[in-house]
Amino acid sequence: MSGGGEEHEQRQQKARQTSTSPLPGVSSASTSSAAAAVASGGTGGNGRATPEMKRSAVRSLIQRYFHQLQSGCGNVHCTNANCASSGKVAPMTPNEVAARALQLFSQDAQLCDSAAASATAAAAAVPAPTASSPQQDVDMLSPNDSSSSSSNSSTSTITSASTTTTTSTQSQSQSQSNAQPQGTVEQTERPPMIIDLVKLSRPLSAIGTPATTPAGDSGACTPTLPPVEFLDAESLEALYLQCQTAANYDRLYQAINDVFSSVDRLSKSFVCRPGQERQHLECNSTNALNKEQLRQLEGEHDKDEDSTQRAETPAERCPDAGDAERHGDENADAVGEGDGDGDIDDNDEDEPMGQQEQNEEFLHRGTKVDFRGLRHIKRLLFGASCSAIAEQLTSSVIQLADYIRYMRLYRQDSWEQVLHCLVICFDMATNTTANNSVTDMEYLDRVLPKLCHAAAAMPVRAQARLALIWSEYCADQLQVLLSSCQQQITLQVLLDEESVRENEHIISVTKVLKIVFYANILASVLERPSCRLPLQEVVESEGAAAAAAAAALEESEDLFVYSSMQQPHMPKFAEDPLEKCLQVSYIDCRSPLVPLEEFYNEALSEHIQMHQDYLSYKTLAMESELGSSHTNYFCFMLYAFILTPATKVDALYYDCRMRMYSERYSSLYSILHNFGQDGQEGARPDLKLTVRRDQLINDALIGLELVAMSNPKDLKKQLVVEFVGEQGIDEGGVSKEFFQLIVEEIFNPAFGMFVQQEETNNMWFNATPFENGAQFTLIGIIIGLAIYNNVILAVNFPMVVYRKLMGYRGTFYDLSDWSPTLYKSLKTMLDYQGQDMEEVFEQTFKISYSNVFGELVEHELVPHGSEVLVGQHNKRLFVNLYSDFLLNVNIQQQFKAFRKGFEMVTDESPLKLLFRPEEIEKLVCGSREFDFVELEHSTEYEGGYTEETQIVRDFWSIVHAMPHESKRKLLEFTTGSARVPVGGLKCLRLLITRHGPDSDRLPTSHTCFNVLLLPEYSSKEKLEERLLKAINYSKGFGML
Amino acid sequence: MTAPRRLRKELVDLQESSLKSFRDIKADDDNLLRWTGLIVPDNPPYNKGAFRIEINFPAEYPFKPPKISFKTKIYHPNIDEKGQVCLPIISTENWKPATRTDQVVQALIALINDPEPEHPLRAELAEEFLKDKKKFVKNAEDYTRKHSEKRPAD
Repeated sequence: MSGGGEEHEQRQQKARQTSTSPLPGVSSASTSSAAAAVASGGTGGNGRATPEMKRSAVRSLIQRYFHQLQSGCGNVHCTNANCASSGKVAPMTPNEVAARALQLFSQDAQLCDSAAASATAAAAAVPAPTASSPQQDVDMLSPNDSSSSSSNSSTSTITSASTTTTTSTQSQSQSQSNAQPQGTVEQTERPPMIIDLVKLSRPLSAIGTPATTPAGDSGACTPTLPPVEFLDAESLEALYLQCQTAANYDRLYQAINDVFSSVDRLSKSFVCRPGQERQHLECNSTNALNKEQLRQLEGEHDKDEDSTQRAETPAERCPDAGDAERHGDENADAVGEGDGDGDIDDNDEDEPMGQQEQNEEFLHRGTKVDFRGLRHIKRLLFGASCSAIAEQLTSSVIQLADYIRYMRLYRQDSWEQVLHCLVICFDMATNTTANNSVTDMEYLDRVLPKLCHAAAAMPVRAQARLALIWSEYCADQLQVLLSSCQQQITLQVLLDEESVRENEHIISVTKVLKIVFYANILASVLERPSCRLPLQEVVESEGAAAAAAAAALEESEDLFVYSSMQQPHMPKFAEDPLEKCLQVSYIDCRSPLVPLEEFYNEALSEHIQMHQDYLSYKTLAMESELGSSHTNYFCFMLYAFILTPATKVDALYYDCRMRMYSERYSSLYSILHNFGQDGQEGARPDLKLTVRRDQLINDALIGLELVAMSNPKDLKKQLVVEFVGEQGIDEGGVSKEFFQLIVEEIFNPAFGMFVQQEETNNMWFNATPFENGAQFTLIGIIIGLAIYNNVILAVNFPMVVYRKLMGYRGTFYDLSDWSPTLYKSLKTMLDYQGQDMEEVFEQTFKISYSNVFGELVEHELVPHGSEVLVGQHNKRLFVNLYSDFLLNVNIQQQFKAFRKGFEMVTDESPLKLLFRPEEIEKLVCGSREFDFVELEHSTEYEGGYTEETQIVRDFWSIVHAMPHESKRKLLEFTTGSARVPVGGLKCLRLLITRHGPDSDRLPTSHTCFNVLLLPEYSSKEKLEERLLKAINYSKGFGML
Repeated sequence: MTAPRRLRKELVDLQESSLKSFRDIKADDDNLLRWTGLIVPDNPPYNKGAFRIEINFPAEYPFKPPKISFKTKIYHPNIDEKGQVCLPIISTENWKPATRTDQVVQALIALINDPEPEHPLRAELAEEFLKDKKKFVKNAEDYTRKHSEKRPAD
């Protein structure tokens, strides 16, 4: 360890010599390379400074001005008028200080950094007047540790060097005033405290003197107090209590500022110590193991690691802190020669071989944050009577978050420390205390946006880690985090309704919400084997021998093989990197911890201007097609969870229209182009279907089949239906009726394609059909067309149909709405624990069901299944095979044809990207509850009616008093569908028009425009009588 | 004719157990999923006769519960005029696949012997049962004499 440390030192010195800044007065150790970058960029020096580097350097310079103003350089004889140490700076609020700092920067004012540094250099050496304190002696005796850690931080985090320096100078100045009382307090009460007081030696050692030994350091001695290196729950609490007794919180402020504004220090704080309760996931073993096993494994692994570390590091130093440092080391010089147990840790680099495993291991490493202690501290500090503590904490964390946000520009690799910090900061934000919620909210409001910026700036893998950590340790906080983020977004939307899509606060918070979204899924019960497994494997295993079948299924228990085979079209760029990295999907999660609906943000969805977003989506799509690099377009369609279904329907609408127009355009073009040539079948700009009422199915079938065979792209054109011998221009109403009639006929059980399940009234595929697959293809096309043409259908499929349409396999869980009784019984069987299962159930692997004719049909789930009894060892296999048979195998032919039709229409559309199966269901058949109050509010009036007209008032009072069934009929009468459209009844935009004065005419409607024509009847009674008559006898006539 | 293995075994077991209050158990020749049997209650007012029942097993048995109906008319608050009976043990909410038919039959016999007027299918009989037990018993006895089958000799 010590050797390694020195080697680093030398290497870094070389590096530093090459990049030494020509700027006078900034040549000290605190010369961050960032500053150097500015300097060299300014002089055209080495030309390596990217704009990002410059920006960050500027940032750090401003920060230095800030600290100089606020805390001073630490030099008692400082003459700089803009340095607090000189005593010439007037007292200012932090905001004023910040403004002033900016000003100074633009003026290129004097920065007494060199003075500070040299003073430090001279002084550095020995941290404090209390050198006699035993605590510090111990610290001084651990030079290797400190030097290695400091060296790593000075090189790896270029900007962090400057941060550390500023904080250290600041602390010096503070300590000067407080040195006396502190010293005494320390000596009397110090023993249990673990405030590490080492690091000050670093700037000196970095200057270029190779002597980094404590002896050298202690040569010069000035009365300054070094910064607090790390904090943990106990030390912080002790410090707090001390300060409370002393009624002087300066030291606490200082400690908080030191630690909470520095990645380096915070990442060493609040670390779980061995022996403290800790749980986290292990990795290299795959997920076939359950969590319990994983934890055990992890426990052993940890012990090993801990013990080695204990051997290496001084006793009071927390081993995990050392761990974190080594990470920094490796990434800093990318040599990875690993001092000690580097082999355990060097998986941060992406190497081609075994990348997957490394990825896994990295992802599942968990966190070492001591949540219990942290939360205790949070309650303590935020509950304190002195509100300035929370204030201090808040500003420190904001500083930290800002720093992290820009840090990515330098360090791509080591996010370990940052993660540790973010986990701490987020937890403090979400873990609210009951008794002092104002302070909490204050912290939350101010810190959260910053933290979101920071977290959003992290690379995907670090975000994935964060999701895993949250799911594992902070599942109970997700709800709070979610609602806080939603509040932030809503607030931003309201502040800035016009440019919601460019608002970077919203974008960052949305990105964080995605992390929360996945954490939420990970924290829920996941379905394994995943239904994302391609149907193929199961289907194949069906025909194979029993052993093979069993093997295939057992294999599929280990289903982390993410496969997009058989999935609907999903453009490459739209794949979610986080999902890919974590290898989970919302589809695996049947009952999420936080309902996924809570991720919808209404305000955002309302103001998003979907056409703009769709354009970004298209731009991204085009770029990915051309292979050009990603621009930084942000597209909410890739964050579909945050959008309400109604808004997503908009996106789909634009997509449909776009496609329809492009098809129309190209066919018009081809008409022109082919004009006068022989044999051209004049391509129509729309999809025209001519059908006879009495031959509806056949005509539709033949018509659509023809299109599907000759030019399936035509299916994406706007549908125009014409009934033979009837006039009527299809503005939507005619095709609406067409859909309704065809659905009615096809789903009629007498038609034989679908059977109605008595338990649920759901429609299910007839497993023994006498028709060929073409009719199922037709109904698939119909469903697709209905989505495409924005028509709601009266179909009643169980949810598994929509899941299957999206390319997922029906699994045991899907039985719960397919046949609740069967599901419950099988569940009872799975839950049965007795060893006498064979006798109790006497169930073989042969199952029976009755077909559409009521005949008993038997099926062997495995070959010779009638001789295999279900017992404890194979009950799960039985249940899986049984479900698979009912939901997949038995209707395979039919469903394949069905899905083929659906895909003909919907392929290439962002349907799958945008909608979850539950939402698709709503898209197809609307939601099932009627909110007529909502309808009333959104209804408009024409022809002389207003909402104040007596008859309109009467109408609504009659309607609201109607039973559900009549409401349904009224809905069907006025809109042609008994289902509620996505987004609720308000999206119907019902229009009530005056249809002449009082008469005996019945009310009529235009279903394509949702218009109700109402004569101004003379009385309420008459209105009610006419209305009921109309809706009850409307079939076939009522709709115009 | 095929039937789930367990069903065949249950039939044999029931036939061999020779219960006094449930006899004459047969499966249809062409449909093993339909059984008939004779309930012979012990308690008045039903102990003057015997009642033919039919048990219908679903194809998915034992994962879905069987259904029971009375072929013989009976004056009972829990059995309607069509012979349908509401038996908690075979309701879809309570059904357990490990439940055996003999347990179902025992539950049925218990229900016949001791009506549960709290969960009636025929509300008027339940009311009579609760308010005027004597009248109920008399009506039921008359009804039993008139409609039920003869009790087996032993």
